[in-house]
Amino acid sequence: MPLVAAVACPHTPQLLMRPDTEDRDLVLRVHAAYARVQRMLTDARPDAICLIGGDHVEGFFLSAVPAFAVAVGARVAGHFGPYDYSFPVHEPLARAIVEQGIEREFDLLYTQDVALDYAFYVPLHFAMPAPAVPIVPLYVNVYLPPQPTPRRCYAWGRVLRQILDGRPERVALVASGGMSHYPGTDRYASPDFEWDRAMLAMLREGRGAETARLTGEELDKAGNVELRTWITLLGAVGDARAEVLCYEPSWHHGNAMVAWPVR
Amino acid sequence: MNAHYFFPPADAYPLNRCLYRLKSEPAYRARFVADRETAMTEAGLDHAARAALAAFDRDRLVGLGAHPYLVFMVDLRLKMERAPATFERF
Repeated sequence: MPLVAAVACPHTPQLLMRPDTEDRDLVLRVHAAYARVQRMLTDARPDAICLIGGDHVEGFFLSAVPAFAVAVGARVAGHFGPYDYSFPVHEPLARAIVEQGIEREFDLLYTQDVALDYAFYVPLHFAMPAPAVPIVPLYVNVYLPPQPTPRRCYAWGRVLRQILDGRPERVALVASGGMSHYPGTDRYASPDFEWDRAMLAMLREGRGAETARLTGEELDKAGNVELRTWITLLGAVGDARAEVLCYEPSWHHGNAMVAWPVR
Repeated sequence: MNAHYFFPPADAYPLNRCLYRLKSEPAYRARFVADRETAMTEAGLDHAARAALAAFDRDRLVGLGAHPYLVFMVDLRLKMERAPATFERF
């Protein structure tokens, strides 16, 4: 079954719990864009959401650092302050992705016991379609160097698409991350919004394949280490022209939501 | 160019593990808030790491090999607990 939706969205926890440092109107505009994504996902009637997320050293600490991983448990759960989340995993789909991914020479890590990170549950908090569907958490290492190269992320996305096309489920593919931000560094208050806007312009033109030629150094410099999740998705959607649903630069983060037409 | 996010040095593992637990283990975070010294001893931190963490000096922590993101999120988590009323929930 071909993909039924492909979107990318942000996940900053300040969208869920807004500190007084954050512009409330901006946060509400990002929420409005999430509402559009939720309608898109609902209209697409997916059987499952494959959610490509960059773990924030939550599910995977320095005890084991996979480049690419798949959660194949019955459920995944995560906690953030007063919020508790638990989602069923679409086990047949998750297992097929691991088995066929390895068959196609992507040596994936899989786990049946992993704490879910907010990269996964913040988008689901705002954009889970109605009725809710099971998920498949797909992990890309973005914060613990050395991370996978953009080229490798793109190649994994292409293989992922081949796997999904051969499955009976209607799958919505969601990439969670970005855009420019530098948490914990002295550049936190000066994201590279120009880089983001140039990237969005490129994606609007259907030039997503060019992201495979970025380097890890460029991504780090631009505050876009998390773009690896988008690049993985781009491997799956190819040269489709992106529709930018929102770009809201806050004092520390380029909040972008983007959708791609899928056939 | 120095990367914003760098390979975590092995000798910073106790510090990074301590930060990871402060971020992700509510029980450990509560123990830290109640009795920082005991929690840092339990984490096996050396003198420099203890002093940097006690002062919550980001630059010193990162200079000791702490992962910048972990420092950032521990700070946010501690603020969420100390001043929950300053956050608006959605």
